[in-house]
Amino acid sequence: MRKNWPVILLGAVLLTGLVLPLATGASPPGFYIEVLLGGLMAGVLYSLVALGFALIFKASGVFNFAQGAMVLFAALAVARLAERMPLWAAMLLALAIMVVLAWLIERLVLRPLVNQEGVALLMATLGVTYFLDGFGQTVWGSDIYSIELGIAKEPVMVLEKLFQGGILVNKEDFVAAVVAAALVLGLALFFQKTATGRALRAVADDHQAAQSVGIPLNRIWVIVWSVAGLVALVAGVIWGSKLGVQFSLSQVALKALPVVILGGFTSVTGAVIGGLIIGVGEKMAEVFLSPILVKTFDLAGGGIENWFAYVLALLFLLVRPEGLFGEKHIDRV
Amino acid sequence: MSGARRIGEVVLSVQDVSLSFGGVRALQEVSFDVREHEVRAIIGPNGAGKSSMLNVLNGVYHPQKGTIRFRGQEFADMESHRAAEMGIARTFQNIALFKGMSVLDNIMAGRNLKMRTNLLLQALRIGPALREEIEHREVVERIIDFLEIQAYRKMQVGRLPYGLQKRVDLARALAMEPSVLLLDEPMAGMNLEEKQDMCRFILDVNDQFGTTIVLIEHDMGVVMDISDRVVVLDYGRKIGDGTPDEVRGNQAVIDAYLGVKH
Amino acid sequence: MAIDIGKLDTFPKLLMHHARERGGKPAIREKDLGIWQTWTWGRFADEVRALACGLAAQGLKRGEHIALVGDNRPRIYAAMCAAQCLGAIPVPLYQDAVATEMAFPIQNAQITHAVVEDQEQVDKLLEILPQCPTLKHIYYDDPRGMRHYTQPQVAAYDELIKAKVDAAVLDGEIAKGAGADPAAMFFTSGTTGAAKGVVLTHHALIDRAKAAAEMEGLGDDDVVLAYLPPAWIGQNIFSYAQPFVTGYCICCPEAAETVMTDMREIGPTYYFAPPRVLEALLTQVSIRMEDAAAIKRWLYRKFMAIANRVGGALLDGKPVSMGDRFLYFVGDVLVYGPLRNVLGMSRVRVAYTAGEAIGPDLFKFYRSLGINLKQLYGSTETSVFVCIQPDGQVKPDTVGPAVPGVELKFTPERELLIRSPGLFKEYYKNPQATSEAKDAEGWFHTGDAGYVDQDGHLKIIDRVKDVGKLADGTLFAPKYLENKLKFFPYIREAVAFGHGRDRVCAFINFDMDAVANWAEKRNMPYSGYTDLASRDEVYDLVRECIERVNADLAQEPELAHSQIHRFLILHKELDADDGELTRTRKVRRRHIAERYEPLVAALYDGSPTVHVTSQVKYEDGRTGAFSAELKVRDAKTFAPAAAKKAA
Repeated sequence: MRKNWPVILLGAVLLTGLVLPLATGASPPGFYIEVLLGGLMAGVLYSLVALGFALIFKASGVFNFAQGAMVLFAALAVARLAERMPLWAAMLLALAIMVVLAWLIERLVLRPLVNQEGVALLMATLGVTYFLDGFGQTVWGSDIYSIELGIAKEPVMVLEKLFQGGILVNKEDFVAAVVAAALVLGLALFFQKTATGRALRAVADDHQAAQSVGIPLNRIWVIVWSVAGLVALVAGVIWGSKLGVQFSLSQVALKALPVVILGGFTSVTGAVIGGLIIGVGEKMAEVFLSPILVKTFDLAGGGIENWFAYVLALLFLLVRPEGLFGEKHIDRV
Repeated sequence: MSGARRIGEVVLSVQDVSLSFGGVRALQEVSFDVREHEVRAIIGPNGAGKSSMLNVLNGVYHPQKGTIRFRGQEFADMESHRAAEMGIARTFQNIALFKGMSVLDNIMAGRNLKMRTNLLLQALRIGPALREEIEHREVVERIIDFLEIQAYRKMQVGRLPYGLQKRVDLARALAMEPSVLLLDEPMAGMNLEEKQDMCRFILDVNDQFGTTIVLIEHDMGVVMDISDRVVVLDYGRKIGDGTPDEVRGNQAVIDAYLGVKH
Repeated sequence: MAIDIGKLDTFPKLLMHHARERGGKPAIREKDLGIWQTWTWGRFADEVRALACGLAAQGLKRGEHIALVGDNRPRIYAAMCAAQCLGAIPVPLYQDAVATEMAFPIQNAQITHAVVEDQEQVDKLLEILPQCPTLKHIYYDDPRGMRHYTQPQVAAYDELIKAKVDAAVLDGEIAKGAGADPAAMFFTSGTTGAAKGVVLTHHALIDRAKAAAEMEGLGDDDVVLAYLPPAWIGQNIFSYAQPFVTGYCICCPEAAETVMTDMREIGPTYYFAPPRVLEALLTQVSIRMEDAAAIKRWLYRKFMAIANRVGGALLDGKPVSMGDRFLYFVGDVLVYGPLRNVLGMSRVRVAYTAGEAIGPDLFKFYRSLGINLKQLYGSTETSVFVCIQPDGQVKPDTVGPAVPGVELKFTPERELLIRSPGLFKEYYKNPQATSEAKDAEGWFHTGDAGYVDQDGHLKIIDRVKDVGKLADGTLFAPKYLENKLKFFPYIREAVAFGHGRDRVCAFINFDMDAVANWAEKRNMPYSGYTDLASRDEVYDLVRECIERVNADLAQEPELAHSQIHRFLILHKELDADDGELTRTRKVRRRHIAERYEPLVAALYDGSPTVHVTSQVKYEDGRTGAFSAELKVRDAKTFAPAAAKKAA
């Protein structure tokens, strides 16, 4: 059988890293699980952004650099609109704005550039990024805003009987995870079970063949960008409510890059799993690896969270460039 | 059997079409017509301009000179999606199926032009869209039954053998319920048994649905058996046109094609 | 439980009974356009009544014969019952038979009407129409491609059922039928000589169907997948006679290629498969396991070893230790359950195999998975059920004790004789063959050699005429050897020679799927069967199989002399179209020996290669010549176990 030794080895190393703190007793189980949950939580958000990347990349072959800017733009829109209207109305209106934005991007950026080099399109999305960042400030302002979801922010202590000291869980995090999971499930159903989803998959599979059976490419792109806008909106709201809506939100796009490398550029499953792996890996490395580094090499030890994801992605590029789930033919978007 | 099929008026006619790419003249003043319900073949040696001709009919290429008349309407050139809307479907020589999707999804995608409900309703899969999906599924199931690919319904197209992929390609074209079907070398790369199956399916489609069929093919034997009339191209020019028997007896054709190839 | 037959002594009477008693319950399902369509017993009866009236209007009369040609379709079975309503006798013919093979039955039974599935069958009948002057009406079910047929004999089934139903007249006709009337006629494929029409009465079929149904506790909740040719008694009894007796539902697959999927969807509770089907399934499973991930293969190997050890015992209710029970339970969750599901056998309560001997390992494989597979013994002439292995008393090398109502005895030559209520009435228009097969006291001469063991279970060795003797006078049972060889996944067919000779030699056909897979794993390019058949690597592969059989045979004193000394791999696969196999894929030994006479000679004269030329018939009807050099190889033989002891 074709064994992929590098991947097996890498997996083994990561797995040991994951189990070691618990096995060696370096960490109490309760604390360990808290770290794990914290990692998963961050991972969910990475997943959402990566999902937007993967969708657009698969359907239109464009590496959408603007995904992070879209997250910020959506979050800003919700935060500012919510000052004038109920939250749900603000979110609906923001969604409408994202759809209009998708339509504009298709009309003004993609359509004129169709059949151009990939680099041209990448540059175009880079332009869109800066435009959205700036335009967002022009329209919505450049302060730090907050989104109030109306869920208690105080952590709750659970499983006190099972673990010493219990586990601190943030109710908001829990809701966010559920919402994110529902979104991913909904998208999966949409792609697999509806005629529109089928058309999207067809376009993703083979542009030319899709055109020859009369699937309107332009409308499909609008839909894909709208879906990416929806995903950005959800990510923006969740993150914005947690950390406040501010410029740094758009930097999250940079974290999504290693995620899609890990998961495979064209795979929705890959985006989700990749996000979770990076989220957990980062937190684990920060909490459990840095003390070891400090002790052994007498380093300062901080900032692992900043480079861990990229090193992991680099390793993947070396041993498995197609990512965990990226294949030549993928049956899911 | 084919005698009972009623061949009707001219539906598609090509007048003095010329096409060149840079300095290469792919087609030179080619004219011919296609009648309702007939099986019309375009044959010729490699590089004769067969594929170019099909691509002109389908609107992929736009001829520099000449006109195409389809059901009374005249076009200087055709557009791909326009052709599809007017009921001209095609298959591809290098199969252009959605390789990562199931056979069923591929054929359902062929129904796209027939979908009346809008994308939003389809996306939510509610009301009329759901009813429509069921209607389309029924049409598609009849095609699956017709082409005898029931066993592969849920299989990923990329994993099927070549001959079956060709059949799925035909199925997807049929799902558009075309009045004219353009087949680009439907039997290329097949073994004898697969070729016979494909011939049977083509004749059945022609007979059962009355679909007009224009096919280009390299394999002379097969074409002669199933075509009503044959156009022969060589170096972008028409050198013969008529029933298979007439074409077989045509000296220019024998020299250009039969004499060399067979 | 089987219903009380009472006065319901014919199939039409049984059908009307079910329409009254369980009119809303499913009788037949058919997958059409991707959806399972159900005919209830009520709908089935309505269809039959309309069809019977249509056929009557078209001149079908009591005592006349009607041919049925097609795959398992509700309408084929409806036509069968409709004919019986009128007192006509249905004659199901193999749908994959070539036209010329159909001529004899049609002439022999003077068939006047035929109900066929589609254009393919219509074409075949039209082809032989000149030789069959009695055939006046051909009705087709599927109208595809039939629009331009102008022959006066051809008409649509759909037209037939438009006839007006005269209930009183029809009920009168049904009432006229009696148990002693012929119900159906089946042409035996016949390993030798011309086919014979076996006439079976309503009484014979109903009696046997009921006896077996009662023994197994079949009821109207059971479900059967009908996937073998309806012209074969083995299919017909399970998809016609038994559902009519018990009221269970049969399901017709969408197409021959979809049987596996359809079976998974339906989940039959009662299943029948000849050994070759079980073998093909196992080959598929093995190939899939070879391609599976390492962990899966490991699990499969480990747990199949456990199943092999204790699975059969658990099924038979024999004592098994707690530890093994636990391991088997784990295996059931991880391996056996999923495997049963893949095979579509999750719900199977009773499964039969018959038709030929089944390899003991193959048999054990299914039983160890927890599938209640049992052997039965029977033939067309006996309405199938003669012996069945009862639950809990399954011995792989026997076919079980006689089913109630059956008597067995043996001639001095070890030939099995049977007396049963299920015996056939006669061979149609062949009194000589009838009297040869059925003596004055009503004993049927089966032509099978065997004996009854100390538990009262019947063991069949071979056909009496095939059990031969080697030149030194020791027993030579070719089928026994061939079956042993065929159990290897790489060997598809084998033909053993040895009668009157000093040693045993064999022809081999390897299994194309298994060997192709094997070759691909070794990066061995090949162009097809004939190419592979000439490779030394393939010869080595086959030789290993033969040598393992030889080692086994050496352990059996009576058969130690039957070890295979030399063999060759045939350049083509044995084919029913060339008359080398019967339609049920039994080897026609004598025909093969004649056809390949020079090859047989080469096996015995020691030559290392032999030249072969043969006529090949392509699928489009053209013929061509084929010639090649075939290799002949020796296989290692082993000293008999007894001799070893003596030494």
